[in-house]
Amino acid sequence: MRGSDMSLRLCLPLLICAAALLPGCTSLGVKPWERDVLARPDMQLDSDPLDAAIDDHLYFSKEASSGGRSFAGGGCGCN
Amino acid sequence: MTENRYSLDGSIRIEERSEGLLAVCFDAMASPCELLLPVRHRSEAIELGTAVANEAWRVERKFSRYRKDSVVSVIHRSRGSRIVVDEETASLIDFAQHCFAISDGMFDITSGVLRAAWHFDRSDRLPPQADIDRLLPLVGFQKLQWHRPVLVLPPGMELDFGGCGKEYAVDRAYEQLAALHSEPFLVNFGGDLRANRAPPSGTWKIGIERPDTICEASMLLELEQGALATSGDSHRYVMRNGIRYGHILNPRTGWPVMGAARSITVAASSCVEAGLLSTMGLLKGGEAEHFLGEAGVQHWINR
Amino acid sequence: MQLKRGLPPGAALRQQLMAASCALLSSAGARAQAPDSAPFLNGLLDNLSVDSAVAYYHEDGRIQAVEPIVNVAKTFANGDALDVNFTFDSLSGSSPNGALPSHSAQTFSSPSGKPGHGYTTAPGQLPVDPNYEDNRVALSASWTMPVTRVTDVTVGAKVSGEDDFVSFTLSASLAHDFNEKNTTVSGGVYNEFDSLKPIGGTPDPGSDYALADKTGNRTKDGVGILLGVTQVMTRTWLSEFNVSVDRFHGYLNDPYKFTSILDASGATTGYQYESRPDQRLRKSGYWENRVAWDALSTALSLRYMSDDWAVHSVTAQLRVRWNLPGEQSYIEPSVRWYRQTAADFYMPWIVESTQPDSPYESSDSRLDAFHAFTYGIKYAHRIGPLGPLASSEFNVRVEYYQQKYQNPNTNLPDLQGLDLYPELKAVLVQFGWRY
Repeated sequence: MRGSDMSLRLCLPLLICAAALLPGCTSLGVKPWERDVLARPDMQLDSDPLDAAIDDHLYFSKEASSGGRSFAGGGCGCN
Repeated sequence: MTENRYSLDGSIRIEERSEGLLAVCFDAMASPCELLLPVRHRSEAIELGTAVANEAWRVERKFSRYRKDSVVSVIHRSRGSRIVVDEETASLIDFAQHCFAISDGMFDITSGVLRAAWHFDRSDRLPPQADIDRLLPLVGFQKLQWHRPVLVLPPGMELDFGGCGKEYAVDRAYEQLAALHSEPFLVNFGGDLRANRAPPSGTWKIGIERPDTICEASMLLELEQGALATSGDSHRYVMRNGIRYGHILNPRTGWPVMGAARSITVAASSCVEAGLLSTMGLLKGGEAEHFLGEAGVQHWINR
Repeated sequence: MQLKRGLPPGAALRQQLMAASCALLSSAGARAQAPDSAPFLNGLLDNLSVDSAVAYYHEDGRIQAVEPIVNVAKTFANGDALDVNFTFDSLSGSSPNGALPSHSAQTFSSPSGKPGHGYTTAPGQLPVDPNYEDNRVALSASWTMPVTRVTDVTVGAKVSGEDDFVSFTLSASLAHDFNEKNTTVSGGVYNEFDSLKPIGGTPDPGSDYALADKTGNRTKDGVGILLGVTQVMTRTWLSEFNVSVDRFHGYLNDPYKFTSILDASGATTGYQYESRPDQRLRKSGYWENRVAWDALSTALSLRYMSDDWAVHSVTAQLRVRWNLPGEQSYIEPSVRWYRQTAADFYMPWIVESTQPDSPYESSDSRLDAFHAFTYGIKYAHRIGPLGPLASSEFNVRVEYYQQKYQNPNTNLPDLQGLDLYPELKAVLVQFGWRY
């Protein structure tokens, strides 16, 4: 089907890129005493969980996509 | 993941000790803590012990760098902006400033950041000088702006009350108890202690542990009243090529003070005073005996 | 206390130290706080955070909703963490039923089929069920345990119940740090069980609306896997990349939606319930970056999704947080752009004489091709001591969401002059408090 061809064409190269980058990850990063900026509340990936939950619920009920950042399951009957 | 070393489950227990004493025990500030009372005061033991424990936990919660809600963490998050601290914190910063001045900059509560470079795990790994050089600009009490009660702490710098926090907690708990209870008692937080009067047996028997064998007490001191504080580096050091690098760091160089004693115990009228003198004794390295002798306090140095 | 004149340095130091100690202890003693009389209460509040919000959602002429949420998280002394979430949402208003506008009035029965509960749509208007109402309660909890200093395991459960739908989800995931905690790899799985009890019964897919032959309940279930890498790139840049695959199976239709059946000139002659495949496989890739510049920080994320219904979508979202001077408040504008293609069985209407290409069809606008924009702004302000709480934050957020369709024009005569794809416009206003 059209959909799965597209997905394979795009997802596979993306996965290969990600896997190729992984060894490079060992040279990236900071020393423990350089984590001051990263410790800021606004630099946490889960800085605003309720905003994310409310938005996720809104988009789950109005669009055909969900998830990505977290599990895609809806858990509600709105789609 | 949180690095939580303390058991703050709030449990207090009573134990019998020799010489007709009761101990009300709990954990605080990474140490076993206790309130010693003559056994005839058993009925008040829980109430007094709870007061002491609550004060210890209050000070710990307020000044611990491991707790997100502590005053210290709030100060660290201020990132260079003006912050107004409360009276108690202001008094501690004033005290730290006096100690910084009278120790010629050797006692410095901003030196805590240096621990990121040093891992005192008894291995032989010394940090690269580059790591220390990167941290030294963040050390120096003179770099912060302090006009009570306004503090400006430059970004990246930290305040560490660990050097006097436990002794301060002892004095605070002591004062609260002394207001409630005129009978003999002794407050002991992990070796930093203070007693108001002599117990029925005549003296409090204090065992000061010998640095290189953790369990066996080497010195037995007899205390009537007053405070004792012990500073030492027996457990945390790096050993390389036969040279021992203890965990007492010179804030000006970022390196351990060489020739520091293994432990120093000082007697004084308050625990913060005793604690500061024992810490300064360590900072004086090989000069500890001379320094403490001149200071005119009772002291015991173990090398 | 012995006072000596002409003191050697050590003795002078001791004098000064005694004076300093006295100053510390007397001043601190005079003004320090009263001893804690409630150690247990303080123990409970340690490492506890509460995050709460109420969101009001309003669509232009359609649905409105109120959604209060409370989240409580606590970290224990041994590093375990518990996270509990309670969500309530109440929807009401007008919900599109999938039928097409027409030049004639259209009459529909209510989903429950009860007489007197039907509704009529005026000519030219989008058919909506004006009595749509739903209340939902959801409770979820997750428990995180550190297995080693660098590995965490999390297990979670969620249950959600509405008038016509119940869902139960279980999840488990593992996260492992290495490279001095600069890299974290994580993997998780979830399993969802849903039970549908539509009001008035469940229609068979593709069945005739007028026959009203709706019976029983249906179920669907889903399983998904999520793998991710989080990498500290520099002192001010953090990056996260996830891939996920989900598969849902069972009754995937919306039991209340049906499609207009038109004659050759485009006039509505009837309706049939939608009919979607009983399986859906979705894959997505997600990339998020957080970068800080002094008082500013940005969150930029990209998501690509594709599934075996031929829907693929791209989502791009940017939030910029500006921490205002004084460190007590911030403003955060945000923008989101979303584009999706239509499902290959999406059909806004069925022309009765034509042969269907596929056994599946749906006119649900959420399976149509469209793009959507969201513009938002948030303001938060931190306030000082409130009872036993050292500090807490109030926040308010407003978002405007708009969907735009780009369907081709039709030359069916009876559909001319009708707005077949009305845009969706909605506003969200949210108030929150967190500790």
